[in-house]
Amino acid sequence: MLSIKNLKASIEDGTQILKGIDLEVRPGEVHAIMGPNGSGKSTLSKVIMGHPAYKVDDGSVELDGKNLLEMEISERANSGLFISTQYPTEIPGVNNVDFLKMALNSKRAYLGMPEMSDDDFKNLCEEKMALLEMDERYRERGVNDGMSGGEKKRNEILQMAILDPKVSFLDETDSGLDIDALRIVANGINHIMAPEKAVILVTHYQRLLDYIKPTYVHVLRHGKIILSGGPELALKLEEQGYDWIEEK
Amino acid sequence: MDAIARIKQLGMPRRNDELWTFFPVSKIPAPEFPDACACEEDFSDEMDFAALLPIASNARTMVQSIADNAEEIAMLKCNNDFGRTVLNIGKNAKASIEILDNKVLHPICAERFDVNVGEGADVEIFFANPANDLPLAFRHFHITQAAGSQVRFASIERGNGISRVSIDDFLNAPGAKFECRTLNMLGGTAESHHRLHIYHNAPETTSTQLSRNLLDGSSRASYDGSVIVGANCTKALSSQLVNTILLSGDSSVSVKPVLKIYHDDVECTHGNTVGELDAEQMFYLVSRGIPQETAKRMLMSSFAKETFYPLPDSVGKKRLLQVLA
Ligand SMILES: Nc1ncnc2c1ncn2[C@@H]1O[C@H](COP(=O)(O)OP(=O)(O)OP(=O)(O)O)[C@@H](O)[C@H]1O
Ligand SMILES: [Mg+2]
Repeated sequence: MLSIKNLKASIEDGTQILKGIDLEVRPGEVHAIMGPNGSGKSTLSKVIMGHPAYKVDDGSVELDGKNLLEMEISERANSGLFISTQYPTEIPGVNNVDFLKMALNSKRAYLGMPEMSDDDFKNLCEEKMALLEMDERYRERGVNDGMSGGEKKRNEILQMAILDPKVSFLDETDSGLDIDALRIVANGINHIMAPEKAVILVTHYQRLLDYIKPTYVHVLRHGKIILSGGPELALKLEEQGYDWIEEK
Repeated sequence: MDAIARIKQLGMPRRNDELWTFFPVSKIPAPEFPDACACEEDFSDEMDFAALLPIASNARTMVQSIADNAEEIAMLKCNNDFGRTVLNIGKNAKASIEILDNKVLHPICAERFDVNVGEGADVEIFFANPANDLPLAFRHFHITQAAGSQVRFASIERGNGISRVSIDDFLNAPGAKFECRTLNMLGGTAESHHRLHIYHNAPETTSTQLSRNLLDGSSRASYDGSVIVGANCTKALSSQLVNTILLSGDSSVSVKPVLKIYHDDVECTHGNTVGELDAEQMFYLVSRGIPQETAKRMLMSSFAKETFYPLPDSVGKKRLLQVLA
């Protein structure tokens, strides 16, 4: 469903960060992307979403056969792509719930569906907040405003749960979470996951993968996927680091 | 010296007048004054043309008094070209005063408000009128504050013409506080100018100023804020912050902070930021499926609302936020 081919992207000064990424994600799959700091994992998520700091030099990204790279950012999201960034942005003046409602109704409008009624939205919100064991105070706050690292991550998964995307790219959602929060967030992701959906997880640690079983594990280094394998690869990386892998 | 004699002595505002630095003075039509001044007050110290104009034009003075300890909500509106309101607010009174726009289109209109705030009184003065087409509007406030009094001034300007708000606030006794929050949301060729003089005339007085601008088209905003802290005025606190978002390449803002401090033991800060909408915040909103234009509006509205969030709950705050909803 998500097909990335030979994706190359650079930053404003011309430095190329992604140097030819190939990734095929099929329905029902969970892909874990690991790799040393600065290898390009976060950049990959932002480039497929169309972050203005990056220029695509080559390659293609398709979601269900549609060329994402030609779409507006909001269209990419409304077509079913979700990215959770490593450091979620704070927007103090925009209320969390208003924002969620606006996002959900934007998607519904894009898909030709009517706006969700206030009652239905309230119920949906309550259900998902309960799933993620979230505090009522979230409702009153601004988007990620003054939230701790862990609270932000949970808020990201709440958005994912409500927007119900086809493909979710979660960038280090596990970092900053305490042990309980990790379990809750992982359960949340598993709950949202379905045979017709897919998840890409960027992580540095095996522990998240104890909860969410990956179909594939990839190693990204210097802007390229240099090795792919099954869940056992994550274990090996945890033990031995990245130095044993020979770059192609 | 009466107002007519004084305004004639001052002459028309000029570009190099300290009080009119950023104002397009050539757009002020030369007024004609009556032969005799109806008001006998002495204005020999008044420096601002706009403060004198209503009185020199023999505007009818409306006097309103709020008794000691009373609580009142009032709306003020002027239907003539020129208006003057004197508000006497009693000790420990609470007052919420909304100023409504003149709906009659005059080529120039000028209003003056004299607000005398008694000891311990708590006053909010605000306006949040819909966009109007008044070509040129002056609004002057002369505020005197007794011990422990609080005045909160809050406004939203959305006019299409040229407006100038001038405020002289006198913090005359210990514990007096003045807070000023202004928001300009302008487009087209609109201009909004603020000129403030805040006099800390006693120890332990506080003033806070926040001005925010959202400027589109070729609109212009200016903020000329002076804080004067007298000798012997220990522990005075003053802050001034101007934040501007330029939504177009042709809009502009000018800021002139002036601090005159005649004492060491005071804390005064000022800041001025000019920018565009935050690119990361934009990305976050659109990456959740919200269309670009909607996202832009959401960020603008949040920037605008934040001007007033820190105000305590009141009729004025509710009204200002309602207008921005
Ligand atoms: N907008 C940008 N401007 C400048 N350099 C950038 C930008 N985005 C990415 N880079 C650089 O590209 C490289 C890859 O960064 P990226 O954030 O994608 O790494 P990462 O794999 O996510 O690392 P980490 O594990 O530390 O999160 C880094 O060297 C980074 O400094
Ligand atoms: Mg990263």
